[in-house]
Amino acid sequence: MIVPLEHVLYLSAILFLLGLGCVLARRNLIMILIGVEIMLNAVGLTLVGASAFWQQIDGQIMVVFLMAMTSAEVSISLAMVVYLNRRKGTVDVRAFDELRG
Amino acid sequence: MTLSDLHALLPQLILALGATGILMVGAWWPSRAPWVLTGVALSFCAAISAGIVLPTVTEVGGMFGVTPYARFFTILWSILTGLTLLLSLRYAKVHRFAGAEYTALVLFAGAGMSLLSAASSLVGLFLGLETFTLVLYILIAFNRGEAIGAEAGLKYLVMGAVATGFLAFGIALIYASSGSFHLPEAMHGLQIDGQMRPLGLLGWAMLLVAIGFKVSLVPFHLWTPDVYQGAPAPVTGLLATGAKGAMFAALIPLFAALGTLTLELNAVLAALAMLSMVGGTLAALPQRNLKRMLAYSSVVHMGYLLLGLMSGGPDGQRAVIFYLIVYGIATLGAFGVITSFAQADGEPQDYETFRGLGYRHPRRCSALSAFLLSLAGIPPLAGFFGKFGIFHAALKSNHHLLALVGILAALVSVSYYLRPIIVLFMQERPAQRLRPGCTHEFAVLTVCFSLVLYLGLYPGPLLELISQILPSP
Repeated sequence: MIVPLEHVLYLSAILFLLGLGCVLARRNLIMILIGVEIMLNAVGLTLVGASAFWQQIDGQIMVVFLMAMTSAEVSISLAMVVYLNRRKGTVDVRAFDELRG
Repeated sequence: MTLSDLHALLPQLILALGATGILMVGAWWPSRAPWVLTGVALSFCAAISAGIVLPTVTEVGGMFGVTPYARFFTILWSILTGLTLLLSLRYAKVHRFAGAEYTALVLFAGAGMSLLSAASSLVGLFLGLETFTLVLYILIAFNRGEAIGAEAGLKYLVMGAVATGFLAFGIALIYASSGSFHLPEAMHGLQIDGQMRPLGLLGWAMLLVAIGFKVSLVPFHLWTPDVYQGAPAPVTGLLATGAKGAMFAALIPLFAALGTLTLELNAVLAALAMLSMVGGTLAALPQRNLKRMLAYSSVVHMGYLLLGLMSGGPDGQRAVIFYLIVYGIATLGAFGVITSFAQADGEPQDYETFRGLGYRHPRRCSALSAFLLSLAGIPPLAGFFGKFGIFHAALKSNHHLLALVGILAALVSVSYYLRPIIVLFMQERPAQRLRPGCTHEFAVLTVCFSLVLYLGLYPGPLLELISQILPSP
């Protein structure tokens, strides 16, 4: 392996934190979902790096599972975005604050 | 994947392929009650096949175990799926749910829960968990007539997606530290003298955050009350019992595989359990809404379960499984009563609407009181033995402080469980009539009620059965 595992882990940790920051800072639902996508892609990178480090195929198979799961999640969340937009006319999460107590 | 593997996965295949079939045929033949009843039949078929068909292999694809332990939970979650569908029959009609889609989603959730409980590797854990989490995103917002349903769905979606990110990253780090997803081997990265130990521990920390979100432990519980309140009552029942229970069922082998490497984790787990018991209790006390109260009290129950899980050993594991079942029955029953009172314009949730209802609908209100008292752990009911087992195991494994906090939380919990019962029966004011309820709902409630009573009087047989199916240490 030419690139050491450490570098892969640092890069994916940075990506993961960027994604998490996006989720926490943005108030637009679509931007939040993009943040989640970045987090999941960081995971994919870690898995590929670890898979190359251990010379095993398992990690790469997991990445395929992860991609399938992510696409399912995205399709559900986008359906949700359309539904919420139709309901309130906005995708700003601050508009949804009726439940309290 | 060989024929014997497929044979071993038969119950899950019945659920998943049955759901797919219903979804496809339902596109051409839209109908409601027949599909829901088909779903009930399919889930009971899955439960029976899990009990009768003996597998020839012990593991499928290195991901899912086919041990008696996994089979036990497959039966449990299949029955739960069936009961939930039976309970939703009238609710779905009143709220004009699309029958085929609703049934298929609940069946998929059942398949996901049984896969999660059977997981023997981190990949299996991830796939099982995501299967029913994705389904729950849809089910929580399924009631299109209600605004709070959409909001609850949004909150669960955002929280759930972040938790998924943490879960996947934790799994990836554990894999990077050990080079294996399979459970006993994946713990090698945590060896005391291992170079990869910090990486493995970081992975475990991420995993704990994700688990905290999914089973709603303090401080990751913020979504719980809103989602419980906004989701349709039968879906809340499924979420509160199956989704959390399946996670705990998967945690038992996970912690057993950790063995003696839990020392660092124990401090974190103790803090989570303590915060959940104290925080949940404090938040539940002032609630005036039944669903929100049940949400906060579920946080406390998750704290007890975590305490039992930390105690470890056969005693702790048996106590956790028994508690899970008892808690599940009482919670399903309580949400069943709310479901049976639901009308087209919403569900009764505020204590105000329950005032004097015990004199209008004595049978259902008595059942609701019994479920609440069982959750509080009042002696003749099943909840008492559940709590007794957990605290006994905790004291035996020297978690004195946590056990004391737990017992105090259980004592205080009587006050917030008694309040709705007092409202139901003590204040006589002619409450307006709610829905009269129908036969299927009464059947489910009767099953839950008799189980709560039976397990309180004769817990022996179930405890014996649980001892036999425990995963070997």
